[in-house]
Amino acid sequence: MPDVLTKRVIAAVSLCSAAVFLWAAVPVATQAPTGERTFLSRVRRLTVEGKRAGEGYWAPDGKRLVFQSERDPANPFYQIFVLDFATGDTKRVSPGMGKTTCAFFRPGSDEIMFGSTHLDPKSLQYQKDELDFRASGKERRYAWDYDPEMDIFAYSEKTGAMKQLTTAKGYDAEGGYSPDGQWIVFSSMRDAYNRTLSPAEQKQLALDASFFAEVYIMKADGTEQKRLTDWAGYDGGTFFTKDGRIVWRHFEENGLIANVWTMKPDGTDKKQITDFAAMSWAPYEHPSGEYFVFASNKLGFENFEVFMVDKAGTKEPVQITYTPGFDGLPVPSPDGTQMAFTSARAGGPGSAGQIYLAQWNHEAAMAALKAAGPRQTPKR
Amino acid sequence: MANTKHVVVAIAVSCLFASAPASSQTATSSRTRTQVETLASDKFEGRLTGSPGEKLAADYIISELKRIGAKPLPGMTDFRMPFTFTAGSKDGGTTLTVTKDAGGAQTFTGAATVQALSFSDTVEATGRVVFAGYGLVVPEAQNFGYDSYAGLEVKDKIVVVFRYFPEDADQKTRAILARYADLRYKAQAARQRGAKGMIVITGPNSPNAGTVVPMSFDTAIAGSGIAAASVSGEAFAPIMAAAGKSLDAVQKEFDSGNPHVAGFAIPGITVTLKANVIRQQQTGNNVVAYLPATTPLTGVVKPWVAVGAHYDHLGRGTTGGSLAGKEEANAIHHGADDNASGTATTLAIAEAFSTQPRKRNLLVAFWSGEELGLLGSAAFVAKPPVPLDALAGYLNFDMVGRVADNKLTVQATGTSAMWPKLLEQANIAAGFDLVLQEDPYQPTDVGSFNTASVACLTFFTGAHQEYHKPSDTADKINYEDLVRVGELASGVIKRLMDSPEAPLFTKVEQKTETGGRAGLRLFTGTIPDYASDVKGLLLGGVIGGGPAELAGLAKGDVVIEIAGQSITNIYDYTFALELLKIGQPAKVIYMRGTEKRETSLTPAARK
Repeated sequence: MPDVLTKRVIAAVSLCSAAVFLWAAVPVATQAPTGERTFLSRVRRLTVEGKRAGEGYWAPDGKRLVFQSERDPANPFYQIFVLDFATGDTKRVSPGMGKTTCAFFRPGSDEIMFGSTHLDPKSLQYQKDELDFRASGKERRYAWDYDPEMDIFAYSEKTGAMKQLTTAKGYDAEGGYSPDGQWIVFSSMRDAYNRTLSPAEQKQLALDASFFAEVYIMKADGTEQKRLTDWAGYDGGTFFTKDGRIVWRHFEENGLIANVWTMKPDGTDKKQITDFAAMSWAPYEHPSGEYFVFASNKLGFENFEVFMVDKAGTKEPVQITYTPGFDGLPVPSPDGTQMAFTSARAGGPGSAGQIYLAQWNHEAAMAALKAAGPRQTPKR
Repeated sequence: MANTKHVVVAIAVSCLFASAPASSQTATSSRTRTQVETLASDKFEGRLTGSPGEKLAADYIISELKRIGAKPLPGMTDFRMPFTFTAGSKDGGTTLTVTKDAGGAQTFTGAATVQALSFSDTVEATGRVVFAGYGLVVPEAQNFGYDSYAGLEVKDKIVVVFRYFPEDADQKTRAILARYADLRYKAQAARQRGAKGMIVITGPNSPNAGTVVPMSFDTAIAGSGIAAASVSGEAFAPIMAAAGKSLDAVQKEFDSGNPHVAGFAIPGITVTLKANVIRQQQTGNNVVAYLPATTPLTGVVKPWVAVGAHYDHLGRGTTGGSLAGKEEANAIHHGADDNASGTATTLAIAEAFSTQPRKRNLLVAFWSGEELGLLGSAAFVAKPPVPLDALAGYLNFDMVGRVADNKLTVQATGTSAMWPKLLEQANIAAGFDLVLQEDPYQPTDVGSFNTASVACLTFFTGAHQEYHKPSDTADKINYEDLVRVGELASGVIKRLMDSPEAPLFTKVEQKTETGGRAGLRLFTGTIPDYASDVKGLLLGGVIGGGPAELAGLAKGDVVIEIAGQSITNIYDYTFALELLKIGQPAKVIYMRGTEKRETSLTPAARK
């Protein structure tokens, strides 16, 4: 670094003729890891290209990651990409048109499931409208719009064919396969469109469609669709656990407080796992089957951090990340040694959120969970 | 820093098993370590451009290039590409003579009394005298209306101006005037109005009152077409006597910033200014080599990829740029991170590609003169031995040896839309916690290539406490991660070489120009973290006992407002500094973690 910088800035702000610096002598190397480094090490950034990326889910063999990213200059919405760790290359697996979200590898198969609006004839117009809006220099607060034309598809990597699994009017997305690849649990807002709504419900729909989202289950071919929840508030972010239950997050009616819940695949035995009086969401099970990782804004409305909680939810969750801004959507690798997550920590281009990968210290996690106190009841 | 122990262990292990079949990473790491230790050793004396130490360093780099099998560029027989530059300037005995019409003359000489400004011509100027206030001219385009020369006739005259800008003007006025207060700019304004000479006096109400302006080291020297000097209060006394006013009273009038306060002719005297500046021309050497393509792509318009790093440093820190404390003044500035680290990384990349098939030529450059203002790379792009539009891209390495917590900053990514994708692909294997900055207007050689419209990147691991100090030594380098920086870059280069498509250069608009240097006369004791892209100014540290520390600011704080000016980046900060007054407390709002705090900082004078 040359003198130019020095002349212009550094000299002005740091020039010092007589100060004695002692920082170099501080023995930082002997400190035990603190904060995020207690559990996460060698944090690295996986996605760089594009405005934002997120929701990275692992292939069952841990060699690839499927994620959503806004990186096509012609499409301002998420498309689905698969990242190959061996080559560093990514390829798009979604149609390129419309909006997509929440991809998931089907175990024992060449299929990848995701939600997509590409069949909506208006989808190209929406792309253009959004691009025009952005070109006008305006910024809007990022918000997911629960497009009612979103349906779940299974994409075959072998043939490139797209199999439509849901057809109901209303947002169908946020799905996960069962460990044997035979079932899909997902979230749907079809309840807002398949019956006559009361005036109050119509008002609610205009205000926030996600209020009508409920958890559904179906076979991997789209048959035997069945509703599992029936209460006010947004239910979604659904995944199977190793022991055959379902974990998801349930929003309270006010749309501000969410918590992690589990239930049996038939919809019975619902159990609340977290109780923060905050937005706690995006739960995912560690492959040990011992605990869930999830995101919560307990520490500030826009400051999401990753937490973990014991499987039964009997203890107070343990904080994992500490970066201001967004850290969330944690997904451990199939072997449990790594964790992919989404974070806005980098700042700069693409700072809206990118996917990161870190080594995961399972032993430290188990010790911290063991040491955690009993679950507290928040003041409301 | 948390990795230090780990690194030491890793190095110890690599030494133990040096004879065993080592991984390529270990072999490269050991070679890189040797190169950094050699370049940063006392023998090379800080590698000041034009010095014997620089020549030794160039010889060493050339021996490494020969070992690797790189060649001089096509049509050349030598790896060295010399360029000349002005190594410094000193006063050669400037004199000022004040002759009264009524008879009698006084002559002043001696560096503490009358000293040429570094950009002055060596020329004699004689003429009547006009006091032009602060000598400030705000261009009409600014729509502000301030011209110290309004209503004054200065053709063939000697103008007298105050240093700096009006001390008592309101903040907005000061902010605007500060931008035009650079003495070089004032001299230009005087010359454009026909003045033959300019005399600068530091007013009694300003910092450094009554003293001459130090002869700054200015490599961008070109004749300014005017005799220009600063004088002490003593030498200025006979001029004020002729004016029949006190300097203090005159300054007070101008200090209001009121544009209607006019300058005036000083009757009864003629002044002769004999300005004498001695400029020292020296020669620096870039070292440039290449690895020819083994299986060239056919039909591509950009058959070259370039990598480079500057290998020069500050010598003993005597010619500017040093941040050494008093107790280590004149010591060898080792420059292990700045930039033996980048030099070794560039060599490692060349070595890696020397044994691989190459579809494009790899140009490998080692710049000198970087610390003096990107002189070597600027000379290269001014007279490129390879057409610049034949370069698919240029990758620069400057201060890459201090990877901490796996963080690596890549700058100038805005120069092509292709960089994020290439970096994403290459980083999957390299595995850094990457931070991207689009801005290519960086104070390193990447700036020369951006100006020349070449798609470029520069890699940087952040500023640190040893920056530009003798203590930037080889033992503080993180070798394991330094090798990985080269691996990331090699991943990008490999893809650049293999693809028939070359990155399309995109011009990034330069952010608002920083303020004039006049604002830099005050001292706040903050050390900005340049690698950060947080909103606000992240403090990498504070100077012990400085105003910032006294105000309670600490490393890690993010300053978001100073004296009512919101701060979103380093440019805003520099600009805001211009508004502050020495000794006058300014309100500072900052974030400590998630907590918003407020304090009061009192800037001190900078010598």
